[in-house]
Amino acid sequence: MIKISLCLFLVSVPFFAIICSAFSEDRPTDRRVLVLLDDFAIKSSHSIFFKSLETRGFDLDFKLADDPKLALQRYGQYLYDAIVLFAPTIDRFGGSVDAASLLEFVDSGHDLILAADTSASDLIREIAVECGVDFDEDPTAMVIDHTNHAVSETEGHHTLIANDDFVNSEVILGSRKIEAPVLFKGIGHSINPSSSLVTKVLSASPAAYSANPKSKLSSPPTLIGSAISLVSVVQARNNARILISGSLTVFSDRFFRSGVQKAGSTTKHEKCGNEQFFVELSKWVFHERGHLKAVNVRHNKVGETDEPSMYRIKDDLEYSVEVYEWSGSSWEPYVAGDMQVQFYMMSPYVLKTLSSNEKGLYYTSFKIPDVYGVFQFKVEYQRLGYTALSLSKQIPVRPFRHNEYERFIPAALPYYGASFSMMSGFFVFTLVYLYTK
Amino acid sequence: MARDLGILIIAVLVLAATCESAVLSPVSESHRSAALELFSPADGSYGSLEETYEALKTFKVLGIEKKHDIRTSSCASVADTLKSTSSALKDFVDALRVNSILKCELNSEAVRGTQSRFKDSLNGANSLIDFYYSIGGLVLLKEQMSEVDVNLGDADRIFRSIKALGQSDGRWRLSSNNPESSNNAAGIALEALAGVISLATPQIGNSLITTLKNDILKLFDGIERYDDGTYYFDEKHVGARGHQSPLSSSASVVRGIAAVAAATSETLNLPGEKILGLAKFFLGVGVPGSAQDLYHQIDALSYLENIRQVLWKLTFFRALYNKAHPDLKIYSSDLDFVAALVRVSTVLGSPAPTLSVRLMQIFVSGSKDASVIDQELKFDAVSGMHVLETLPKNIDVGSYVFSFEVIFHNPEHKKTYVSGGRTRVLVHITGVIKIDNAEIVILDGDRGSVETQKKLKLPGDNTVALSANHLQKLRLSFDLSTPFGNAFKPHQAFLKLRHENGIDHIFLVGNSGKKFEIILDFLGLVEKFFYLSGRYNIQLTVGDADMENSFLQPLGFVELDLPDAPEKATRPPPQAVDPYSRYGPKAEITHIFRAPEKRPAKELSLTFLGLILVPFFGFLAGLVQLGANLKSFPKSTVPSTFAILFHLGIAAVLALYALFWLKLDLFTTLKALGLLGMFLMFVGHKTLSHLASTSSKLKSV
Repeated sequence: MIKISLCLFLVSVPFFAIICSAFSEDRPTDRRVLVLLDDFAIKSSHSIFFKSLETRGFDLDFKLADDPKLALQRYGQYLYDAIVLFAPTIDRFGGSVDAASLLEFVDSGHDLILAADTSASDLIREIAVECGVDFDEDPTAMVIDHTNHAVSETEGHHTLIANDDFVNSEVILGSRKIEAPVLFKGIGHSINPSSSLVTKVLSASPAAYSANPKSKLSSPPTLIGSAISLVSVVQARNNARILISGSLTVFSDRFFRSGVQKAGSTTKHEKCGNEQFFVELSKWVFHERGHLKAVNVRHNKVGETDEPSMYRIKDDLEYSVEVYEWSGSSWEPYVAGDMQVQFYMMSPYVLKTLSSNEKGLYYTSFKIPDVYGVFQFKVEYQRLGYTALSLSKQIPVRPFRHNEYERFIPAALPYYGASFSMMSGFFVFTLVYLYTK
Repeated sequence: MARDLGILIIAVLVLAATCESAVLSPVSESHRSAALELFSPADGSYGSLEETYEALKTFKVLGIEKKHDIRTSSCASVADTLKSTSSALKDFVDALRVNSILKCELNSEAVRGTQSRFKDSLNGANSLIDFYYSIGGLVLLKEQMSEVDVNLGDADRIFRSIKALGQSDGRWRLSSNNPESSNNAAGIALEALAGVISLATPQIGNSLITTLKNDILKLFDGIERYDDGTYYFDEKHVGARGHQSPLSSSASVVRGIAAVAAATSETLNLPGEKILGLAKFFLGVGVPGSAQDLYHQIDALSYLENIRQVLWKLTFFRALYNKAHPDLKIYSSDLDFVAALVRVSTVLGSPAPTLSVRLMQIFVSGSKDASVIDQELKFDAVSGMHVLETLPKNIDVGSYVFSFEVIFHNPEHKKTYVSGGRTRVLVHITGVIKIDNAEIVILDGDRGSVETQKKLKLPGDNTVALSANHLQKLRLSFDLSTPFGNAFKPHQAFLKLRHENGIDHIFLVGNSGKKFEIILDFLGLVEKFFYLSGRYNIQLTVGDADMENSFLQPLGFVELDLPDAPEKATRPPPQAVDPYSRYGPKAEITHIFRAPEKRPAKELSLTFLGLILVPFFGFLAGLVQLGANLKSFPKSTVPSTFAILFHLGIAAVLALYALFWLKLDLFTTLKALGLLGMFLMFVGHKTLSHLASTSSKLKSV
């Protein structure tokens, strides 16, 4: 019995080693991606997208979403770093997977790409809601836009939308500008206005609305105008990233290869922006961009190099931190001009923008306030598309010691003078009093 | 009529066979460019002979004349494979397949060697794959080398042993000890059996062929169907060769059936509907992204054409407005701009035989009413399209379903072509909608009298500035009519009021006939508006799929004066925060230090120091004045020593105080003071008692 368990242990050690090396703090890019499909035909019809993932080094594991052997974890370890959920019609996952376990997967810092479609099931909607995104409740509704649709020979309801209202963020969409509009055909969603984690990446035009194109409207649609989001991303606090699209077709080879011409516009683009848009977006979701780490947080008194255990009020101090961004293969210095440090006790006493040496080192110096107590150095760096940096380091600040106050105050000279003249007088008086004859 | 249509830019659109949603076009340029992209050889050759064959076959079917820069390397690899004795059977077959396209010059000795290998393995074969490759190889040899003797003496036995692997549902097992059957294997088996039939001398008995045909029909019974009439062969089980996609297994079956059809030269009487459905399936994939899928798709479609040609009706409704589309030359003379173009082709995009297309029925979209029309479309030989030159009279802007039917001129073609019966096509007839009598009015609540009235230009720039209170009403009205003067009801007619703080209120504009009107009674809306007074921007959106001039138009604003909110009124919902502002850097904070206490100028302190010292000097002067002296200082040695020590002690204490002020702390000072104190006590006692005894002596004297 012992032998067997020993064997098992020896066999499982390298197995766990593989798992551990796949996703770590040091290499945040995902490696193993589970692709859940409704139908294996999607693997072929959306192959350009999958191929772009594969050529970037991802290990795709294609499974039917209702595969009875489906499992996300084994022996408490997750088998995958990310899930691509291209199964808009799935009602129930196979195996041990359900909405809760999928959300737990995300809660543990893993990434998700979710595509819904006109026939999106309640399960998919439920997962989306948990991610802060509400799809239009009407199952027959599609996003319609009569002024910004794509010119098409085959689509007459104006549900094929050519949209170029992108989020203005280089980190999410890459540094190359997306010239051509993105084709979209699917359902819209709204994002919770109070949620600070969800961001619209592709929003509909002001003239768009979400309704069933085949029936007359009897009441105003719930989703209308640029409040409709077509594609959204979530950057969770634990660095998990989620991409939610109201359409699966937008990832398809047909759309990737298609040209686009916006209605009312004479420019015809040879190729629509879908491939660039979604490939860049997938790079972001799988942490090939915008993943920051901070190292070497240091602080010391000006003129010293060691980190003290305590500061005194009104000390001059220096603070520095190094920040790097993961480029998909290595950590590159992160250069920005808006990194800020706070000297914080209940509320920030000092908030200062750090200077940068353009090589990832951020530094500043300031004088400690004349308030004593337990302070924190805080760097709360939250930028659109970047993982949040939240550093805090506690440091006590003490008041002056009794002998650190100013000793010889000029204004007190009359008092000093009075004492010493008194003392001299006393000395003289003792002599005179005792010995005068 | 033509004049009426002057502003009716009848447009574009739409199509699709039977089902309105799926739009499938036959194999076209995009397949060709995809093929060139996917099958691009690395370093002048493909990875394997199988891949080479797939590339060559795809190119051949698509009619791509690729420069044969791979010919030399591929032929060399074919020759190598055939010469080698260690190659697997599959490699031989792949080599021969490549050769069948490239027609390399081969050493006939080597070929003869392979022939014996095929025969040997055929005799020892027991799994389907072995049969398939051996027979496939022999068939290829027969095609390529007429001098090679490939005839099978015991064809019947081989036929029966392959047949033995078949299942009752038409599917096949890969080998006798593998219980799982698959459609993919059925395709392979059919191909092998077709090979046996073509190689057999004497011919295979008719009864065997009949059972084979029955098997095929049974296989078709197990075909899967989508709602839109698409048929495909699914693969349930995952075999040793990994999961076969529906595409590859459907392609395999089609290949098998085509081979059987070719070998038996008999009609198989396959249901035309299912053949059409299969074609739909292969075309429905679109342009596949992987080389292998593209090969399966194109190869299968080419075989489908061989079995029965599937006619594919690609319907265009083109805006034949001669200015907008000067490149389209087909339009009739009496109606300048309108024509429906119907292109009929086979799945691979080759032209159809002579036939006529008739427009049979027109349905108004969404209703069952059909107007029956039997109108033949004119065939334009130059473009190869069928043209609907005149639209029926009662057609106006809107959505219709046109039903077309294909009629063959030659009745023989009915046997070889599958046309799929009537094709229903969703057609949007679009046009510019006239908007008249647009006005926006503020009405007085009680009497309904007009307070303010503003005419609007729609579409156009409008900036009306209105003001109203909660007792008044706002009325917006406009007329919509089609170019023919009929009423038009757009899908989207929204009035949007947006408050300054970003809260939107949407209203549908209803109509009665041509007239669209909405009355906003602010009294009833105060609650909905959250009692928010202020400026509301007005925006009107009118749009429809059939409306060429859909617009989104800001109209101006209305300044609303609403009563104050009662305590229990609902609060307006929170508005989304602009993501860019949410993330920006925060304003810097610098700590404001406590201001140091105000101090007098140094000069003032020094002046007062001087004043403070004045009494001391006055004291000294007074002493001098009084004649103070030290005459009674003890003269004898011992008392004078004690007196000096006493006074030095006092001076030391005072100096200690000064030191305490300058640098010492309290503890050092007290310690020193204690020692000095004891010393002082001693010497002080001595000095003072001496002084006391001297003075008492004096008194007593």
